[in-house]
Amino acid sequence: MTTVSEILGINYIVIAPTLALLLTVIVLLFCTITISTPMYVKKYVSFVGILLTLFTIFLKFGLFLTDGISSYFTEKILLDEFALVGNVLVGMVLLFTFNSFWKTSELIEDKTTEALILILMSASGFLLMIDAENFIMLFIGLEIGSISLYALAGLNRGDQLSNEAALKYFLLGSLASCIFVYGIALIYVSLSIIGVYETSIAISFIGPDNVPLTTFVGLILIIVGLLFKVAAAPFQAWAPDVYQGSPTGYVGYMATVAKVSSFIVLARLVAVSLTFIIDQFDLFFGAVVILSVLAGALFAANQSDLKRLIAYSGVIQSGFILSGISSGVYGISASTFYLITYIIQLIGIFTVFSIISGQLSSDFQISNISGLFKENKFITITFSIFMLGLAGLPLTSGFVSKFILITNLWSYERYILVTVLMLTTVAGFYFYLRPIWVAAVEKTENVVEKIQVKNSDKLLLGVLAALTIYFGLLPDSLVNITRWMVEGYL
Amino acid sequence: MISIMFSLLLVPLFSALLIFLIPNSRKETFRPIGIAFSLITLTQCVYLLFGEYAKTEFTILSTFQWIQSYGINLHFGLSGMSTLLLLLSSLLVFVSLLSIGKDHSESKGFVGSLLMLHFAINGVFISGDLISLFIFFEALLIPMYFLMGIWGGENRRYATIKFILYTVFGSVFIFIGTVYTAVLSFGVNGRLAVDFETLSSLSLLESQSKTLFLLFTFGFLIKVPIFPLHTWLPDAHVEAPTAGSIMLAGVLLKVGAYGILRVSIPFFTEGFLAYKNLIAILSVIGIIYGAIVAIAQIDIKKLIAYSSVSHMGFVMLGISAGGFLSIEGAIIQMINHGITAGALFMLVGFIYERRHTRKISDFGGVKISMPRYAAIFLFTSFASIGLPGLNGFVGEFMILMGSFNSYKILTSFAAFGVVLAAIYMLWAYQRMFTGPIKYEENESLSDLNSRETASIAPLVLLMLFIGIYPNYIESFVIQEASFLSDTIAMFKDLK
Repeated sequence: MTTVSEILGINYIVIAPTLALLLTVIVLLFCTITISTPMYVKKYVSFVGILLTLFTIFLKFGLFLTDGISSYFTEKILLDEFALVGNVLVGMVLLFTFNSFWKTSELIEDKTTEALILILMSASGFLLMIDAENFIMLFIGLEIGSISLYALAGLNRGDQLSNEAALKYFLLGSLASCIFVYGIALIYVSLSIIGVYETSIAISFIGPDNVPLTTFVGLILIIVGLLFKVAAAPFQAWAPDVYQGSPTGYVGYMATVAKVSSFIVLARLVAVSLTFIIDQFDLFFGAVVILSVLAGALFAANQSDLKRLIAYSGVIQSGFILSGISSGVYGISASTFYLITYIIQLIGIFTVFSIISGQLSSDFQISNISGLFKENKFITITFSIFMLGLAGLPLTSGFVSKFILITNLWSYERYILVTVLMLTTVAGFYFYLRPIWVAAVEKTENVVEKIQVKNSDKLLLGVLAALTIYFGLLPDSLVNITRWMVEGYL
Repeated sequence: MISIMFSLLLVPLFSALLIFLIPNSRKETFRPIGIAFSLITLTQCVYLLFGEYAKTEFTILSTFQWIQSYGINLHFGLSGMSTLLLLLSSLLVFVSLLSIGKDHSESKGFVGSLLMLHFAINGVFISGDLISLFIFFEALLIPMYFLMGIWGGENRRYATIKFILYTVFGSVFIFIGTVYTAVLSFGVNGRLAVDFETLSSLSLLESQSKTLFLLFTFGFLIKVPIFPLHTWLPDAHVEAPTAGSIMLAGVLLKVGAYGILRVSIPFFTEGFLAYKNLIAILSVIGIIYGAIVAIAQIDIKKLIAYSSVSHMGFVMLGISAGGFLSIEGAIIQMINHGITAGALFMLVGFIYERRHTRKISDFGGVKISMPRYAAIFLFTSFASIGLPGLNGFVGEFMILMGSFNSYKILTSFAAFGVVLAAIYMLWAYQRMFTGPIKYEENESLSDLNSRETASIAPLVLLMLFIGIYPNYIESFVIQEASFLSDTIAMFKDLK
């Protein structure tokens, strides 16, 4: 006997992470508007909420084992390998950045709860986006996630740069959303479909050569909307300003969560919807990759603000990740490996920044870390490990990810891409080593004084640096996970 | 033998970490600890000399699964050439730890970086596949970056970044070559196998072989360095601290030539045959150019740096001639240059610590105040020039003999390099040490103390030993050199 809920495919486990986050948000909201809650309660409520989310993600693995790739809620929510990996990554980002964003929120005294709610809501939105099978659902998730991030960027009202960041992020982000929605509309107009799997079925039905131009443009617009979120050139203009202006404690979260979810969605789009016509996107992706790495390297070379430098390095890294996504199923697995190692380094770097300059500060000049090594050895060593990881030096995870990625590209005969990417790596050594030079090598009079680092921060930095080294020496486990993710799509 | 091979990696790494953990209040212990551990490594290398792999060609002894799903494994092994270079690097680390002055030996970072450098160098020489070779090749940069950046001279920022960017630029080509080889090997073996045993069984098209040879060799030649790509070397040498210069000239330059002998020639022989004339011409230009520029130097350290360009030109000439004798000579010259250039940089370091200048014109008549130092300097200069009976003669003579058959004119030009070497070394000696004392500061210079003498003594003894009894060192490289020359001859015949 089939019940209504079975026909509708209602299954609460599959959206349990989102629900868990929503529950946490409601509890937090309740705490704030009814009784005066001490700070530590808020802290524990949100931390328990995050742990609960991680637990529910674990439950989804169980569901996947029994059901396999399946869709729920009348084909709106999808449970597949991409969703699982994406969920875990968002959960991990929440866990790793909790330390920073909690302390930042604590400093904004009258808005602590709002900040926490915004962060948890945005995570729930991005989780929904990762889980979405339906483009509309995808859009809703993206918007829930992004709008919270816009607000988060401007949360430090007293800071002019923060306001500027929020406004820029909002305006350009909404433009991206418009483009995204327009893409969905075009696909719906041309093929009357609106789902990830439907698209590939429709394309295989009408034949890859007969795809209407509108569908084509629609798909490109959807991809452009996502490329905005990962700050790939030529859609990168917002990133440096937003990174620079936003409260430092939040940037680690803002940068990683949007990148993770957009890339996972992009990977699924390429692996599922575009399987039959991916060849026709080669030029588009190739152009974006080359533009990203060149623009990123060019602008990163002369930044005096480290947050801007990291933003431009993010543009380069986006180019790298994108190059893998657009070159075959194993390329997607290599890109996912790259993405995971990259977010580990990114979170680490922003944690270091927020420890040094305070959580709420906006710009972070390179002079802020001059002579850092003298009094703060631990911070400098971990920071150097993260920077060397970004540069792709062997013995760090950055090298392994680049190696796998480039091997894939080469086997796909993308020789031009390989050349450009590798030349960017050389340039990268110039600007990734510069902060290390300023922090540890250069002799200077006014050194940074000893900073009291909390044990939780030390633990976090230690874990992230250890992971960077670990995945550089023994990458096997992580590579296997990313291979598992794509194995069904060969 | 395998456990010794890995302890060559682990002992330096462990000792470096140990030194980083010792509190700064016990800074007088850094040097003894470093010396103790480098002595352990040195003993192990000496033990390797008597082991079964000391006279063989490269044998892979150990394999690790690294990335299983791609079938990438890491391999480690030993050979005659590797054993000699391991011994050289351990000896140089040992003597440079002994020779450095107090301001360096009491710095945790300096001793630690030197040991980390030792770790990476040992890794290069025992690597049995392209990926581990690349990993260690790049890992060399980081300790070198700190050694040069923190303890370097005035202009160290420029020199360090130049050094790093040049090397990274070269290693990008090695990286692409590795990737290309891996993909080719995937087509044959079904996995990304790039160990040296698989590579030797890989049959390549001539075009592939040429491309791969160019990719790898370009990267390695920057490190050697060969003539138009050498400009990073003088800057790096002048700005690096003494121990950094010793390691740079003594071992790091050899990494480039080692890579060519280990990877480029045996696996991409057709490419080698196609481009060997070009390399030979460039090396002879390097020999002459390096020597002439060395004559014109006013800074003694820069002079030795340019002499390195000249001497490494001999190595590359011997390699590109490709005969048994010339390759054997090239390997021996690599070792010899490591010893003599290391010794020369150490000697320059000694006098720099006393006078804080390296300009040749600031000295004159130093022989009177520092007789022992002057004697050792003269001896080392003779070794560097290639006086018969000392080590420099052995390698250069074998190279010139061996390459004369293939390149008659080029070799005749190269022979002038020896004469020019006599000019720049002896003229510099004359200006610095002979005659009356020109400046008052030089009158009160103290001669080498016992520590400094002890640190230079092993090198001086080796110069004499190799010069008198070259058979011993030759016995380690015969098999490897004959393997390489046979491979080259075989491909020549095929054509």
